[in-house]
Formats: sequence, C-alpha cells, structure tokens
Amino acid sequence: MFDDNEIISTIEMVRNENLDVRAVTLGVNLFDCISHDLQVFKKNIRAKITNHAQNLVETCDAVGEKYGIKVVNKRISISPIALVGACFSSDQMVEIAHELDDIARQVHIDFIGGFSALVEKGIAVGDQALIDALPRALAQTQRVCASVNVATTRSGINMDAVLAMAKTIKKAAQLTSDEDGIACAKLCVFSNIPQDMPFMAGAYLGVGVADAVINVGVSGPGVVKRAIERNLEEQTDPTLGNIAETIKKTACKVTRVGELIGREVAKNLDIKFGVVDLSLAPTPTVGDSIGEIFQALGLTNIGVPGSTAALAMLNDAVKKGGAFASSHVGGLSGAFIPVSEDLNIANAADKGFLSLEKLESMTCVCSVGLDMVPIPGDITVECLAGIIADEMAIGMINSKTTATRLIPVPGKKAGDRVYFGGLLGEARIMNVPNHTLCDQFVKYGGRIPAPIHSMKN
Amino acid sequence: MNKFIITVLGKDRPGIISLVSNILYKLGCNLENANQMILQEQFAGFFIVGSPPDISLETLSQTIKSKTENTGLTIHINAVEDNENSESNTRGETFLITTIGPDQKGLVARFSKIIALHKVNIENLKAVFKGGKDPNANIMSYQVFITPDIDTAQLFNALRQKAEELDLDIRIQHKNIFDAINKI
Repeated sequence: MFDDNEIISTIEMVRNENLDVRAVTLGVNLFDCISHDLQVFKKNIRAKITNHAQNLVETCDAVGEKYGIKVVNKRISISPIALVGACFSSDQMVEIAHELDDIARQVHIDFIGGFSALVEKGIAVGDQALIDALPRALAQTQRVCASVNVATTRSGINMDAVLAMAKTIKKAAQLTSDEDGIACAKLCVFSNIPQDMPFMAGAYLGVGVADAVINVGVSGPGVVKRAIERNLEEQTDPTLGNIAETIKKTACKVTRVGELIGREVAKNLDIKFGVVDLSLAPTPTVGDSIGEIFQALGLTNIGVPGSTAALAMLNDAVKKGGAFASSHVGGLSGAFIPVSEDLNIANAADKGFLSLEKLESMTCVCSVGLDMVPIPGDITVECLAGIIADEMAIGMINSKTTATRLIPVPGKKAGDRVYFGGLLGEARIMNVPNHTLCDQFVKYGGRIPAPIHSMKN
Repeated sequence: MNKFIITVLGKDRPGIISLVSNILYKLGCNLENANQMILQEQFAGFFIVGSPPDISLETLSQTIKSKTENTGLTIHINAVEDNENSESNTRGETFLITTIGPDQKGLVARFSKIIALHKVNIENLKAVFKGGKDPNANIMSYQVFITPDIDTAQLFNALRQKAEELDLDIRIQHKNIFDAINKI
C-alpha cells in the first residue's frame, strides 16, 4: 500500500493542480498514399488515417478513465503535405486541406497537423504550391494546422521563405479578418522543427519514423507551481538551487504519468510508442499557467527583470527531470510561453510588464518562440519578416527549435482586445515598435549561411 | 509442521515484537511472515508461524498466554490450513478508490458494502488525513483487487453514485498511476 503522502500528492496533482495529459497525437505516415491523381490521393489518405485513428478517441478516454487522468486533446499528425502531395497545384492543395479537415471531423479529433513544408535550403515545386495554398486552406478549414520550416542550424535561414511566409501570414489574417485573423493561429514558422512533437500547430510526422506512432504531450504548470510554493513554505532558507531541484523532481513525476498513459494507448491501439514531450504547456485556466510559476518564483510578473534567468532555470529543470523519467523524450520538451493561451502571460503583456522584445529574449532559453502573439494588423510585410528572421536566427545559432506564431489582426492596433476562444485564448495586441518600416534587409532574399559551428563532420 | 496465525493487540511500546518472537523462537517455531501497524498509538501485529509437529495449538496458546500475562497485550492464536499455492495465481488488477470529504458515520460501511456486493476484495483500507482542521481534507483509501469477471463499469458507477449522494469527491484509479508518480 502507498503511504499517506504518496496518495495525497497523486490525488492533489489531478484534483487541484490541473495535471492532465495535454495531447495524445497519432502520427500517420502518408508516403504510401502518394498518387498523381488527386481523387486517388484523397481516398488513400482518408483510408489510411481513419484506419489507424478510428479508435483513437475512445482508447484515450478509456485509458484516461482507468488512471483518473484526463487526456485532454486527441490529435493527428501526418507526413508533410508538401512532400507527399508534391505533384499537386496550390488549388489542389486547398482541396487536400478540406479533405484533411473532414477526416479530422470523422474521427472526432480537434486538430490535424502536417499541412507542412520543409524549405530551409530552398523551395521546391510542391513547397511553393503549399505555401501559396496556405491562406485559403487555413481560412476555409477549422481543424487543419500548418507549419513551414525555414531554417536549420545545418542549412542556415532561407530568407526567400521568410519573406514568403510573412506575405502568407498577412494574407491568411486578411481572409479571416472577421475572426481576428484566426487562420494565423494555426500556422507556425519554424527553425529546427522537431519531427515528433505532439503539440499543435507545429506537429507533423517526420521522415525516418515508423509508419504510425503515438506521441504524447503531458503538461503540468499548475503542479510545478504548487510544488514550488510548498517548497518555499517548508524551507527555512530556500535557494534557487533547491527550487530547481524541486522543479526537476516534479517534472519527473509529470513525465512518468505521460509515458504510462501514452504507452498504454499505443499498446491498446497496437501502434508503436514514440516520444513523451515533457513541455509545460499552459491553458487559459487559472492555476494552469506558466506565468503563475514566475510569480511563485518571486517575480512580480513574467517579463520583469529576472524573467529570462527564471525561464532558463525552469526550462532546464524540466528537461532534466523529464529525461530521468523517460528514455523516449522528444518534441520540444521545455517551457512554452504562448501569450494568448496563458491568462497570466496575457495579463502581464496587457499591464506592460511583458514586451515583445522581452519575449524575444526569453525565447533564447525556452522551447518555443513567439507563440500566439497578436500584433497590429497594419504591420508591414518587411517588419513581420524581420521579426520572423530574428527568431529563426536565435534558433539557428543556438541549435535549438524556435518558432513564430504571429497574428497580425486586421483593423486592430496595439492595446486592442482579440478573442480566439477555447485553448487559443484571448489577449490584447502587443506593441511592435517601428512596425510600419519597409526596410530593405529582408528583401535581399537568398540564404543566411549556416553558422560555422554547424560544420561538425 | 503445524501452521498458526497469531494476532497481537495492545498499547504500542518498545519490546512487543521482541517478546512475542522470542517466545516463538524458544518453542522452536519459525516465523514465516509478519506484519504490523500502529493506529492511534495502538499496536496490531500478525504473525504466521510454523511450529514443530509436537507443538499443538493448545500448547502454543498456553505458553504464549502464560508468558505474556500482565503485559496488557491481547493475543489470539488460530490454526491455519497450509496452502501450497500460497502466492495467489488469480488474475486481476489493483485499483485505488479514494473518497475525499467530511468524515461521516457509515461512510466505510456504505462503500465497502457496494464493493462486497460486486464480489471484490478490499486488500487494504487506509484513512489518509491531510492534516489540519479542514473536514473536507479527510481521505479514505480502498485498495481493491478486481478480477476479469467483475463488471467494473457497474461497480464504478455505483461507487460514484454513492459518493454523489454523500457529497464526496471520489477518484478511482489503477494502481500503476501511483507507482508511476511515486516510485522510481
């Protein structure tokens, strides 16, 4: 039998600290579905995806019920459509997006990721078709998520792609102007995209993985926050080293939950288990916030001086704890700082504690990047491309993943409110200094070369 | 060899296990298994004992009682059937049922009745208190072993209904989640 503390701590994690399995994502390889005939391709991908996914939701719910820990989101990631659909035109790519949207509806999942392209060294025919299709595809569908990788540490930054993506983002926003540019909330631009991440909008199934795989993302910012608070209450002379140790142990426990549930779902579906992404991913619920962790650590709000150091400590402790808990850690595996998805972070930005510049500096030490950041709708393409390029440079030079999920909200300016709903949350538009500049730098195009430290051979 | 179960009850203090185990040793008995717990300063111990063939239940009882007179301990001795398959081969899974909320009369009676009606064995029962004066902080934990023939949906629904009637929070979780979180 378990001792009192073991029972209490397990119950409390679920009951009061918002521990849950944030996402179980089924990855499905579509390379064997390839056809030059669009109708055949659509039929093939529907058959393959629904064959694997027909019991996904039911199985996740049953396993969640067994362990008393909810699997909040069930998702699907697929091979990049720009690769498996490389022979199709952009109009045909939009049709594929509709097909994917309908498939997602059929199997009762809320998002399907992988309407994606990998263009870090150049844009091929299929990639261009997908990029051209993106605005319409994302505006016309609800459940399709897209990502474009424009940089890697080994390849450098494809600045043609960065500019193309800035234009794409603006177009996508315009097409959904009546919904505060929500299409952009389903589109990420990446540097060093991981091929096994279970979280949207960047999830896709990479090359070199199994035909079908279950990846799981577990999350517990509330659990980490309570562990820090308890540690500070109990210790007479707390130090940041002690706090880091507490975060590490908590991350270990949270990761073990994710692996247990992920492995059982995989076993029940007779699909290989892939990775646990041990990221701390917040939701707009109070008590399920990364921003609150900063306050627990003794900072007034996320964004004040000390925030980057605090985030570095948090991100590192989460990785260490998770790596001990599981040998199959993947995805992003760190701390997310999505502005609109975390009520506390949105409020910090609203009150002036958190600026875009500070967010950018914090992305140097955490997993994601400029995530779910609403910006003024009249931002120029050049300025938007500049922000993206800056974030890609951080990822490229530091050999880490960075991304942007920026939403230029048509007709709205800094300080105006936007509402996306559900997990996407709400926030005020952040100020972007000099956002109407039309500087030449990004328009030179070409590729910013890979850094010298990438030459490891 | 004869086999017996000895239960020892009394106010907890140093020396109880030493007293009992030494009596058994001098009788030539072997201590095959033992467990003990302390509940609100009361000691409860269980000893499975194998004795030489010439030591009968009567001899063992009389010897132990005479040597523990005036110690304030209450001791019962029963014969146990020797089960060669002492490790259970029954298939099944272990769940922890926890109820959270104010203590009330009949709480354990009501939940254990539902569990018994479904022919499920309670392997361990524990009152887990978070501490403090918050009555909503009382936790009762039932570790149950569920065999494949049990309709778990029906059992779990019945437990949840009872919890709702009594205004309690109930959690029903497979043991593995507790292992995953708490044990390396």
